[in-house]
Amino acid sequence: MSQGTPKGLWILVVMLFPLHFVLHVGFGLGESAPDLLTIGLLLTAREVGIGGASLVGLLFGLVEDSLTVLAFGANSVTMTVIGVFGAFTRDLFVGDSRLFVFSYFLAGKWMRDLLHWMVMGQEFRQPFVEQVLVEGAPAALYAALVGMGLVTLMGLVRNQ
Amino acid sequence: MVAYTPEPERIGRNHQIRFALAVVVVSAGVSYLPEAAQQRIALSVQATVLRPFIATQELFADARMRSSQTELLLRDLDSLTSVTSTQSALVDENRTLRGLLGLGERIGPSYLPASVLRPGTAGSESMFLVDVGYEDGVRTGAPVVGPHGLLGQIRDVQPGIAVGIDWTHPDFRASAMLVDGEAFGIVENVRGAFREQDQLMLNGTAYNQLVGEGMLVVTSGLGGVFPRGIPIGRIQGIAEEQGSWRKSYWLQPNFQPGSATHVLVAVVNAPGDMADMWTDSLEAEEEDTGRGPEL
Repeated sequence: MSQGTPKGLWILVVMLFPLHFVLHVGFGLGESAPDLLTIGLLLTAREVGIGGASLVGLLFGLVEDSLTVLAFGANSVTMTVIGVFGAFTRDLFVGDSRLFVFSYFLAGKWMRDLLHWMVMGQEFRQPFVEQVLVEGAPAALYAALVGMGLVTLMGLVRNQ
Repeated sequence: MVAYTPEPERIGRNHQIRFALAVVVVSAGVSYLPEAAQQRIALSVQATVLRPFIATQELFADARMRSSQTELLLRDLDSLTSVTSTQSALVDENRTLRGLLGLGERIGPSYLPASVLRPGTAGSESMFLVDVGYEDGVRTGAPVVGPHGLLGQIRDVQPGIAVGIDWTHPDFRASAMLVDGEAFGIVENVRGAFREQDQLMLNGTAYNQLVGEGMLVVTSGLGGVFPRGIPIGRIQGIAEEQGSWRKSYWLQPNFQPGSATHVLVAVVNAPGDMADMWTDSLEAEEEDTGRGPEL
């Protein structure tokens, strides 16, 4: 996520939003498709500041919530907080190395699943071990790998 | 002397944090909006931002349909390639469509055939979309049925598309009775530790009522939500007893939500009694499986 090429990053983010819904809703792939919306939000959050990141998170979350009969609003809160978290990391970590970007995607996606589990009502969620650990950990790894692939493809990370 | 003021960069930062806090509060407030407002937001987003993606899913569902029909034609032409392991899904879909066709003929035009679409996003496990909507005569609360019985109910209706919940949704309730009309109760969803363990329970039946395993439970029509006579499931065993006045029974659902690809959706002025619509198919099913009531 080098500072000199924000244009490539914006192209990537604008592509990720429709791609996420094409894969999840259009093709009906469900969990087989990576969470590109969270990747897009995490990338945006590093660039737009805390206020903008929270707003983008809220909008992304509302769109996901509109496909949810169970616990409407859970995705809105989760994505907003993830946006804020992503923007805060800009103050804490300046790095744009491969290791940092991978860890950032991994932690961001895992935190998204954890928060979503916490915000959902007790009657709607699955057991913690299943939803956050058994399903959440591979999903976070999957998202981090895909995210790394995408930013590498767009030349947005340093080689070392 | 010029008074001390914070640096402009710091002021901007404080504005950002205040704005972010406001957005977090708004996002938290979304969960507490009235259900009608939440539905309005969801419908607006579905009709605008998500419309192309939902349309894409409809296109793919149609393409899958056409593809399966092509496969059926090829099977007729080439008997050597007809027996393959991959055809079991097509045969199953064909059986479903034949069942729906037979059921559709018996029910008449008051139920419309529709394809079931699943969003596949987090939290949408118990919901589905059907490709019929308001202008087709579908209204909120309309029952959704298949060749084996009740799948669920329509919750929101838009032009050309409607959103429904299946029986795995925590809000699902159906006033029900044994097919012989001897015992009445409420069928509700009981969440398991895992989604695969979700079950149906017939609740509130009289303690002394004889209810044997394998007996068919159908909608009773009481309350006016579902028409009378739609099969829901078969008695599997006693779930719980309260004192000596009430028993609950586990049900084996007739229609598994995962197998629903094509369904029938009720339109306005659909008949209130459907007791005879499933008789033939259920009798045939009993003959196939050797399953019947045990008293």
